[in-house]
Amino acid sequence: MFPASSQKKFWTFVDETDLIRLRHEANRKFILKHGANMTEELRERTFLSAADERLLLRQYELQLRDFCRRFNPPMPRSVSGTAFHYFKRFYLHNSVMDYHPKEILVTCVYLACKVEEFNISIQQFVANIKGDREKASDIILNDELLLMQQLNFHLTVHNPYRPVAGLLIDIKTRCSLKDPDRLLPGIEELLDRSFLTDACLLYAPSQIALAAILHAASKIQENLDSYVTETLFGRPSSDILPNIIEAIRKIRSLVKSIENPSRETVRQLEKKLEKCRNQENNPDSQIYKQRMQDMLDEEDEQSGEIYARVAREQASDEERLLGVSRVLSPSAS
Amino acid sequence: MDEQVCPRCKTTKYRNPSLKLMVNICGHALCESCVDLLFLKGSGSCPECNVPLRRSNFRVQLFEDSMVEKEVDIRKRVLRDFNKKEEDFSTLREYNDYLEEVETIILNLTNNVDVITTNKKIEQYKKENKDVILKNKSKIGREEMELEELLEEEKQQGEVRKKELVKLEQEEKKKKIREKEALIDELMFSNADAKNILETFANNVQAAKEEVKQVPVVKATHFSTGIKFGHQRQQSFLSVPKIEEGPLYMYEAPRQPTDGPLPPTWSDLEVKGYVNHVEHEKDEHRAGGYRANISCLRALQEALAGLYHVSDRTDLAS
Repeated sequence: MFPASSQKKFWTFVDETDLIRLRHEANRKFILKHGANMTEELRERTFLSAADERLLLRQYELQLRDFCRRFNPPMPRSVSGTAFHYFKRFYLHNSVMDYHPKEILVTCVYLACKVEEFNISIQQFVANIKGDREKASDIILNDELLLMQQLNFHLTVHNPYRPVAGLLIDIKTRCSLKDPDRLLPGIEELLDRSFLTDACLLYAPSQIALAAILHAASKIQENLDSYVTETLFGRPSSDILPNIIEAIRKIRSLVKSIENPSRETVRQLEKKLEKCRNQENNPDSQIYKQRMQDMLDEEDEQSGEIYARVAREQASDEERLLGVSRVLSPSAS
Repeated sequence: MDEQVCPRCKTTKYRNPSLKLMVNICGHALCESCVDLLFLKGSGSCPECNVPLRRSNFRVQLFEDSMVEKEVDIRKRVLRDFNKKEEDFSTLREYNDYLEEVETIILNLTNNVDVITTNKKIEQYKKENKDVILKNKSKIGREEMELEELLEEEKQQGEVRKKELVKLEQEEKKKKIREKEALIDELMFSNADAKNILETFANNVQAAKEEVKQVPVVKATHFSTGIKFGHQRQQSFLSVPKIEEGPLYMYEAPRQPTDGPLPPTWSDLEVKGYVNHVEHEKDEHRAGGYRANISCLRALQEALAGLYHVSDRTDLAS
């Protein structure tokens, strides 16, 4: 469960300043590496700033949501939730300019399918992608390991969906609210939107679930406050309740403050990104192709060497053990 | 089939049906008459490989291939020293390694591979394992003694039984004669009807026979191999290998921190009616061990776990 999970330990942060700091660091690291001998002014003109990256990522998060919604066969919500988690975690430590979000996006979904046991083959998966499917499957399979590594192999994600179900059961059992299923559309809306924010990097899934239920209740003009304070928490000590209220208020304000980036700025940023992205990680670039070819050649060479070494060792072992060199077949002499 | 031929005088089994091939430790064969001729003095060298041999070491070749003979010889010799048993090793693996080493030595000696180093190895082994060899030798000796005792005992028992049988037979004969005499006496001096006398005697004989028949059955149980049985039992116990044991494993239920309000327990699910609000499981789900209350409890646990979560910088790992 969440309190003992890697999600809480490594991927739940104190507040938004932490996230901003991490993203700035990733951005700065990339610029320092690839623009080492540029003036400050030139750097600004060439590279994206951390804020620009954030804007782009918001755009791609929208794309991620749409991709998951349109996915055929329809996927469980937990898959898209996990994919969102992966996507956000990945770009906490990596710059958009280093790895293009459109590639990481599909890889996240593919990995989430596996982790959430939504069994689907790579062929079925790339059938949902427009364009060159061969290339897409190459990119996904190539990036999959990189993604896992960047996630530090913390693959288990606790989504707010099961807590929502649990809270609904609790409400049906212990609260006199009429027809709690009326809450569902409101819950859905808040959870969907919460994934476009950083809420899942800041709060526990059960807290997000509770926020979603309270949001839905206020939408249908019901009041669950007494249920929450009296029944759910059973008169908690005074220092707990304010924290929870604060967390829920914050989640709802985060969700409310989502603003979609304008098309014009996104288009400009995309153009800039195309120019300044790390060509070594661009599957269309010459450098990338060359590197792949080199790696393949190296592998061949290595395996050839290994084979020769193993054969030599075997021969000497046999000689030592039996006291005879390998007997030649009569036809060989 | 290959004809057996003496390599020296070229006599074959066909020409001399009583041909007997003899071998010595070098593994080369000679016919009996050649052995007599060459080893008149009791010792000499093998005509084929010039190895010095003793006449007393010649024996009849049992196997057609003289190499097998040689190997049997060498094996006997090597195993006299390499007489460790499975109990002398702590693991089966070590015992197998040991057996493999012995086989290697035997193979080397029979095929004349690295004879010098192998012999050195044997010497070294003898030196290192003097105690064990001696101990095992005496153990083997003791076992053989016991076996001999057993055989002796059986022999004695057989003799006793034979004597008893002879005795019985003699007694029977005497009895018959006595009976006949009694019958004749009766017939001679009695006033009773001859027919009656015959009948009573015949009955008596019949009864006696039945009695005799029963007696050997009793004796057979008496002479069953009871003693031998007891002996064998004493020997056939294998030593039980000791297994090293640590403290017994104790199961401890994993503890789940909740960091939130306490979730309901299993019994609460039914009593307070939580399960009424989840979809009831179908028969095919039950087959796999699934119950609706499992998913119900999990949802409730996850809903409550982490509700009190407050991040502060102290417990942040990354």
